[in-house]
Amino acid sequence: MSRNQRIGLIVAALVVAVVAFVVVSPGGDSDDEQEAAQTTTTQTETGSAGDDGATTEETETEAEPPPPPEPEVTRIQIRGGAVVGGAKRIETPTGDQVRIVIASDAPDELHLHGYDITREAGPGQPARFQFKANLEGVFELESHTAEDAGKDPLIAALVVQPS
Amino acid sequence: MIQIAHGLVARSDLPIPEWLFGWAAAMVLVISFVALAVLWPEPRLQRDSWRPLRGGRVLASRPVEIVCGTIGVLLLGLTIYSGLRGTQSSTANFAPVFVYVIFWLGLVAASVLFGDVFRAFNPWRAIGRALAGIARLFARGELPAPLPYPERLGRWPAAAGIFCFAVIELVASNGDKPENLAIATLVYSALTFIAMALYGVDRWIERGEAFSVYFNLFSRIAVFESRDGQVGIRKPLSGLPALSELPGTVGLLMVMIGSTTFDGGSEKKPWTDVSPDIASAFQDVGLSPQHSLELAFLLGLIGTILLIAGFYRLGILGAKSAGGGFSAGRLSRTFIHSLVPIALAYVAAHYMTLLLFQGQALGYLVSDPLGDGSDLFGTADSQIDYTIIGGEATWYWQVGFVVAGHVAALVLAHDRAIAIYEDAKLAVRSQYWMLAVMVGFTSLALWLLSQST
Repeated sequence: MSRNQRIGLIVAALVVAVVAFVVVSPGGDSDDEQEAAQTTTTQTETGSAGDDGATTEETETEAEPPPPPEPEVTRIQIRGGAVVGGAKRIETPTGDQVRIVIASDAPDELHLHGYDITREAGPGQPARFQFKANLEGVFELESHTAEDAGKDPLIAALVVQPS
Repeated sequence: MIQIAHGLVARSDLPIPEWLFGWAAAMVLVISFVALAVLWPEPRLQRDSWRPLRGGRVLASRPVEIVCGTIGVLLLGLTIYSGLRGTQSSTANFAPVFVYVIFWLGLVAASVLFGDVFRAFNPWRAIGRALAGIARLFARGELPAPLPYPERLGRWPAAAGIFCFAVIELVASNGDKPENLAIATLVYSALTFIAMALYGVDRWIERGEAFSVYFNLFSRIAVFESRDGQVGIRKPLSGLPALSELPGTVGLLMVMIGSTTFDGGSEKKPWTDVSPDIASAFQDVGLSPQHSLELAFLLGLIGTILLIAGFYRLGILGAKSAGGGFSAGRLSRTFIHSLVPIALAYVAAHYMTLLLFQGQALGYLVSDPLGDGSDLFGTADSQIDYTIIGGEATWYWQVGFVVAGHVAALVLAHDRAIAIYEDAKLAVRSQYWMLAVMVGFTSLALWLLSQST
């Protein structure tokens, strides 16, 4: 194969690579994916008005009408040092407001890594997190109390996707 | 579930999206076939291309060496001291961040960019040479010659050392506890000094001391190399064909690729789904929950290394079947250097953000290494800036590393093949098999990146 043929082949391969990239990459309109990502939170409900405190049944039986104009609230229950239903996964696109309310039946200190937000929770006094999701990646929300006790500290994983 | 070792990792990467995975995998195939067609017909990397660099004598001079060695010894001391005396929270103590991020990952980046810098900073080498010098003064003459280094040992001690490091990092549930790290460092230092006393400082550094051998492998990608007290420049990658075919080199590469694969995979779905079942099986036979999980992770780590080794062996057997009269062992050793860029791609893709983000923790840790509230340099309040690289840019860098590693591996294997096979057709036929090996490793890397946590 001559030198020119080689260069030609490399150029052809590069063109194929670029064209394939342009064709398969979602580009600017990835709105559907965003919406799909938003609705995967585990226990969401409209509005903030949540002083459900330590009572656990309340959230589980609540069924509110769907239209959510306000940012969704993720509610998490900690009972006996463990998350009811296991560690949660909270997905959101970059730039959205995130609201998390964590109720615990015992005093607890909760820390969201990366965003570096620490909140206290206790019986009747849920911890409230509210912030703009401006850092991308998967961040752990941990209980310092569980960590100090040698238990699995993971409460939830916050997944912030590029929008 | 009890958490394993990853107290340091507060942020992990998003899985690469499906379309990017598909595109990258397709590109790997396109590149492979284009490479087969266009790569040079005569070996180009086997010959030595090193030439001295202007000012190279100063960079590798004795005073510079002494300064670097002293810095290395001080950092080793600080790691042990803060591990033993500091707070036992892994993110607030200097030791874990320094060992797992700055040393283990930062030095890989430094080696690839600037050559074998660890050789200069290596605290064990510095102490060993200083002690040998002092001993020579007292002995008034030459010291007794060290024992001959057993040929069959080769790089096996280094492979064992890197495996033990991986066990502490990925398997032991308290592997990030500062005190444990300090003790492990002390034990490793003691073993290193004994081995140096037996086999000589330089020989042990070259073949047995795990981190010297590990960083030296990566430094062979770099364009800089120091020889006889002079820094010189060479073609990129050309340090790798010069890697001696010592026993244990294949084992070392398998441990390197296998442990990174396991680390990438152990946080992801396939493993997190089965590991609790394995652990509960051990719990049923009477082990504590913590030990059961550790044992499950140990099996996972060993299993992954064996799978990687089995896959490489398969490719080598294929290359052997292509003809040429080489034994499988010979082929396995002679092509192993081509996997170093792949090992680098694995490390770079999996740990880039950990180095970029958690590495910033050094900013506050140098001012408060023990986590006791002191502020030596006024930087104790500095924080990690998580905005320096976004999620999308991370994806492209990760895929870029994997694809670049693939290309480098192909080039190295191709160059070696045309050097050892007399018949060009045989060389090409053996290369189909090596190509399959590379595509396999690269696809595995991409697949790991695409798995969600």
